[in-house]
Amino acid sequence: MSEYLLEVKNVSKFFYGLKAIDALSMKVKKGQIYGIIGPNGAGKTTLFNCITGIYTPEEGQILWMGKEIKGTAPHKIAELGILRTFQTIRLFSEMSVAENIMSGRHIKSKQKWYNGIIHTPAYYKDERENWEKVGELMEFFKLSQYATTPAGDLSYGVQRKIEMARALAAEPELLILDEPAAGLNENETLELAHTIKEIQKMGVTIMMIEHDMEMVMSLTEYITVINFGAKISEGVPAFVQDDPIVIEAYIGIDDEDES
Amino acid sequence: MDIFLQQLVNGLTIGSLYALVALGYTMVYGVMKLINFAHGDLVALSAFVGLTVYTQIFGEGVSSLIAIIVVFVFTAAIIAFVGVLLERLAYRPLRTAPRLSAVVSALGAGLVIQNTIMLMWGPNMKIFPSNLFPQTLWDFGGVVMTFTQVMILGLSSVLMVALFLFINKTKMGTAIRATAIDQDAAKLMGINVNRIIMVIFIIGSALGAVAGLFIGIYYRGITFDMGWLYGLNAFVAAIMGGIGNIPGAMLGGLMLGLFNAMITGYISTQWAETFTFILLIVILIFRPTGILGEKVAEKV
Amino acid sequence: MSNINFNKNSVMAIGVLLVMGIFPLFVDSAWLAIGTTFLVFAVVAFSQDIILGRAGVFHMGHAMFFGLGAYTTAVLNVHFGWPILATWAPAVLVPLVVALLLAGPIIHLRGDYLLVATIGFNIIFIQVLQNNIFGITGGPNGIFGIDVVRVFGVELFEQTHMYYMAFILLGITLFIMKNLDQSKFGRAMFYINKDDVAAQSMGISIRYYKLYAFALGAGIAGAAGSMFAVQYSAVSPEAFDVISSIMFFTIVLVGGSASLPGVLLGTFVMFVLPEVFREFETARYLVFGLAMILTMILRPRGIWPVKFGNIPAFLKKDVK
Repeated sequence: MSEYLLEVKNVSKFFYGLKAIDALSMKVKKGQIYGIIGPNGAGKTTLFNCITGIYTPEEGQILWMGKEIKGTAPHKIAELGILRTFQTIRLFSEMSVAENIMSGRHIKSKQKWYNGIIHTPAYYKDERENWEKVGELMEFFKLSQYATTPAGDLSYGVQRKIEMARALAAEPELLILDEPAAGLNENETLELAHTIKEIQKMGVTIMMIEHDMEMVMSLTEYITVINFGAKISEGVPAFVQDDPIVIEAYIGIDDEDES
Repeated sequence: MDIFLQQLVNGLTIGSLYALVALGYTMVYGVMKLINFAHGDLVALSAFVGLTVYTQIFGEGVSSLIAIIVVFVFTAAIIAFVGVLLERLAYRPLRTAPRLSAVVSALGAGLVIQNTIMLMWGPNMKIFPSNLFPQTLWDFGGVVMTFTQVMILGLSSVLMVALFLFINKTKMGTAIRATAIDQDAAKLMGINVNRIIMVIFIIGSALGAVAGLFIGIYYRGITFDMGWLYGLNAFVAAIMGGIGNIPGAMLGGLMLGLFNAMITGYISTQWAETFTFILLIVILIFRPTGILGEKVAEKV
Repeated sequence: MSNINFNKNSVMAIGVLLVMGIFPLFVDSAWLAIGTTFLVFAVVAFSQDIILGRAGVFHMGHAMFFGLGAYTTAVLNVHFGWPILATWAPAVLVPLVVALLLAGPIIHLRGDYLLVATIGFNIIFIQVLQNNIFGITGGPNGIFGIDVVRVFGVELFEQTHMYYMAFILLGITLFIMKNLDQSKFGRAMFYINKDDVAAQSMGISIRYYKLYAFALGAGIAGAAGSMFAVQYSAVSPEAFDVISSIMFFTIVLVGGSASLPGVLLGTFVMFVLPEVFREFETARYLVFGLAMILTMILRPRGIWPVKFGNIPAFLKKDVK
């Protein structure tokens, strides 16, 4: 068993001959909150898509508990315990909040193939347990009042919470958050930071892309900085913050989230 | 060898017709992501309108260049108008609706056109007069080519080249391509999307109209429900080439025409459609978005 | 476990079932036959809905599975002398297995490509029937003289018997649909349908659940086909051609994808109404086409769209 939960080794991903990620490496320890920052278009989301199996990188290795997972189908990655949220929210918008969160219970549900046709006592028990878990998560994220509301009808901030609840419902080992604070107001951001801490306490490792520097610096334990697909710096927040290369990369970049 | 060459000629002829119809499907799909199931029925309508235009204006038996031009231009204009009307009434209100709603609307529109033909021209087969085109034929050592075939091959080649140039070399063509890639972005760049869609329907329907007239002239027998058969084949051709892709529709049409001709010439007519669809499915297994279709990477 | 709460919908559902249950007492044999076929078509429409409305697969070849069930019963009964009852299991299993074999290689295709491929399967199926393959399908005329159902020496040959058999079949189908909706399988289909990328990221195998939908849908359609063959004691290719597939496809979308009352209503509108207006022979389908366009414009999600939010009561306690 490797001492790292996730290892990205020299991963490169090309689009139409262009390098979106360039020989990127990073190591995530169990229980960490790991930050990934960098200007827009630096390849951060592409990296997440490579880890979660939506893209297959052309070069390099992605190791999960020491085992290669590159090229594994997204749904198998989720079964391994790597769950994610999306930068552009992807909820099942016509479906209720509870049903959205229930999708996270999919891999935990023990229903047999014939339970789609006929229900058995084991089915009732399983169904009940999963809905109860959904109920707990709705309470944790203060979503209970929206249980029957279509997810698409709710505000941006609430939708972000639903996405996190959905991913968390799968009881992930590693939770990948793609810009969880984007579009949130100040209060919501504070609440989010608190929530992320709580999730960490549950024993979940977290990887996050975030533009809100204040939040990244206060939350994360280790940061990798990416620019033009390549790693330009890494280290603890205090180090990265003062790294001249990082400062240079951010100079002249008018980051809307900061203003 | 004679069979081969003869089937080559026949296959290219029918293939050109498929290609003309396929272009209508593919252009509409390219911009609206809609399978215009009524397109085949427009093609059938064209044959009937052409028949009436010809017999009413010139009377049967007249064969002159002017008659040919008038019948083609007049019919194409009418069908183009019907096409635009179709878009306005049946598709535009559904542009933001779920994609399949527009498909049902298209199926309904097809029924409307089909039954309009039946009510106006009757349920029985009509025979297209044989003398719009001269009945000349040439025999090249056993391989027979009729004047009609030459016209079909010639005119469809000209139309396809013209379309290709229009799409790739003109400002309007660029606007069409831009709209096909991203409608919202095109709108932001000041492109009038409604106008683009109208142009698409005019061109697509007019090309279909030409094909419909040729079907009447070449096969003679026309029925109110024949649009389904030609439409389906052309649609298959468009899918084979990669739907939304204009050269793909041309390639798919010619390919399917040739393939059909060879199957009916060498193997059997009884199983022609089976072979067509086996070919389609095999192509799709190896090229999931058709021969020239691009792989669409979804933005996540 | 399941506590029946008498809300508006349940009352209506029971009302509709009651009306359908006593329908044979009030009509002549022609209408009874239409009623029976309505029930059979409703079953096919529900099975189409599993694939199209729930899993979101653009499937336009469903009449093929309906036909496979019908022909399985016809061939086994007429050529091999099996009693009808014994043909029921094969009539479900044959379409189911064929669906898995055919859909397997194409299930990854994008919507419209898959739509054409399924049309293709249907057309090949019809050509196979018409060309009387292995000499058992009877060519364009089909197969005649299918037996009636015999249970413990009782012959169920009357139209009323047919009607109630179809009624029971519809009941079983509705029972399955209800169970499907309240299981991880039905939900997975919805997730795939609404956002396939998100669904995959939640650990849902798109391939598995689309094939599951195909298998289940084809099996149920096969059962309906068997019933159809028995009702008319004959089968012929044209009942199962692409036009029929388009009808089932349209029924689902006009009625309301994934909506039980919607699909039932869709079947009524698309099949029974044209029967009612039979006398307006020629203009009938013109009006019909116009109605399809108008319905979609006015109700883009169908006449009776699906409502989500069907969750256990204990989760609703905080809902204001």
